[in-house]
Amino acid sequence: MQIFLPIADVPVDLFVLLILGAAVGFLSGVFGIGGGFLMTPLLIFLGIPAAVAVATEANQIAASSFSGVLAHLKRRAVDFKMGNILVVGGLLGSAVGVEVFRIIKSYGQIDLFVSLCYILFLGSIGTLMFLESLSTIQRSRKSVNTFKHKKKHNWIHGLPFKTRFKSSNLYISAIPPVVIGFIIGILASIMGVGGGFILIPAMIYILGMPTKVVIGTSLYQIMFITAFTTFMHATQNKTVDLLLALILIVGGVLGAQLGARVTVKLKAEEIRILLAIIVLLVCLKLALDLMMTPNDLFSITYGSES
Amino acid sequence: MRVFIFSMLLIFSTASFTLSSVISDIDKSNIELSTRFDGTNLLVFGALSPEIDNTSLLVEVIGPSTSVDITKKVQIWGIWVNKKIAHFQDIPSFYKISISNPEHPILKEIEYQKLKSIFYDFLETNSTPQDGNGVEQYYHELTRLKKKLGKLSIFEEKINIIDKKLFSYKVNLPKKIYPGKYKIKMTLIDQQGIELSKSEQSVKVSKVGVQEFLSSNSKNNPVFYGLFSVIIALFLGFSAAQLFRWMYR
Repeated sequence: MQIFLPIADVPVDLFVLLILGAAVGFLSGVFGIGGGFLMTPLLIFLGIPAAVAVATEANQIAASSFSGVLAHLKRRAVDFKMGNILVVGGLLGSAVGVEVFRIIKSYGQIDLFVSLCYILFLGSIGTLMFLESLSTIQRSRKSVNTFKHKKKHNWIHGLPFKTRFKSSNLYISAIPPVVIGFIIGILASIMGVGGGFILIPAMIYILGMPTKVVIGTSLYQIMFITAFTTFMHATQNKTVDLLLALILIVGGVLGAQLGARVTVKLKAEEIRILLAIIVLLVCLKLALDLMMTPNDLFSITYGSES
Repeated sequence: MRVFIFSMLLIFSTASFTLSSVISDIDKSNIELSTRFDGTNLLVFGALSPEIDNTSLLVEVIGPSTSVDITKKVQIWGIWVNKKIAHFQDIPSFYKISISNPEHPILKEIEYQKLKSIFYDFLETNSTPQDGNGVEQYYHELTRLKKKLGKLSIFEEKINIIDKKLFSYKVNLPKKIYPGKYKIKMTLIDQQGIELSKSEQSVKVSKVGVQEFLSSNSKNNPVFYGLFSVIIALFLGFSAAQLFRWMYR
């Protein structure tokens, strides 16, 4: 069934969108990821303008992270103090990101910019994930357990503005969380992702947070940042397509529920390798689209009505 | 119904016509762009006097104006990048022209004059052509791309002439059209292309329902629209959490 998206200004098939939302939701349920970094490129492949895909995806993530954070609140798995400091950095990052986005959009190069950001991020993260899981698999075959868990005492502990984070059982400077939050805010606003794939490793390896509060706290920050990013894109760039967001939210919720209930008979590193392959394929497709000679060198873009 | 209107037109027309004249009507005055809009047809019909013999009927459909940029993809470091090469200010987003007599002696001349007056004259001059092909290249790309998108058609569609006196013409509007006023101009011309008589109708194309609500608020009340989008998303996220907690209790 064909519907016309009011802000994206393109006709799309409703069922294709629902299935896409459900498929990405399903993957996020299985892999425990947000899915924004898959959904935004897929929307672009469907012919939705990159600027609309990014802003609308932020809107969808606001919904899915809110429903996620509610579940973690029940389990008291959110470090609010840490979350709030991350949010402060994130709001700044988002504001800066949306402004950068607006400037590049005014030069008519936003599609290229978003694609390049995705190629860079998906390429590096996919490759890292792939190599890391490969070496984990090889190590487990040799059955040598080299996994060590030690409290690291690194440069982070030398920074000023130290404060105590009770839920995380940490006494560290507030600067690293603000900086991490800032980077996540930038990512959310220019790529339409929650940024969990950066935020979670950063919380564990840089901040040294205990794993039990990491997911809840990251969802808490992501919810605020994507909600704010949605608002900023709506006011600065007018690129949030609420109808598209609604369809993706509905599809995504159904898919995620299914995905979370499917028992995957795979080891953690095998799941990661699969995910890395998906990420690299999307990256490859984006790169090919930029490099292949287009069918038509010329195109027309419509300006505002007069 | 159509036949009835035609015959009524015929009766009235024969009584009131003086020299050369054309009268016309259309089958709808409003087109609603809903979320499900998938293109539509518009029927234009009317009567001519005196009988069409040495005269030809031109029908033009002119959509609301927008500005248009032509971009060309250029390769930089192996990557194809869009480069803006020409800008047309306020030209019709949709234009169709048809003629009752495709063998009109100065058809090419009419075509050029029409395209010049609605498109070519609106090229902003700061975009100087680099390829040596001159502005003609921009004109060519503009018409080629507009035709490709179904937004321009020049003497491709037929006007039905019945008994040399009545005419009907079906306008096909694609699914992606701009809202606004669509003018339908009927002009009777002689063999030299001189205008003898004309008649004009218009159709109002407007967004309705969800389509109207979202696009007008996004444009005119962005603060409200932004807050509304966030609240709807959070509400849906909350409902989903509640629903599944209840389902898997």
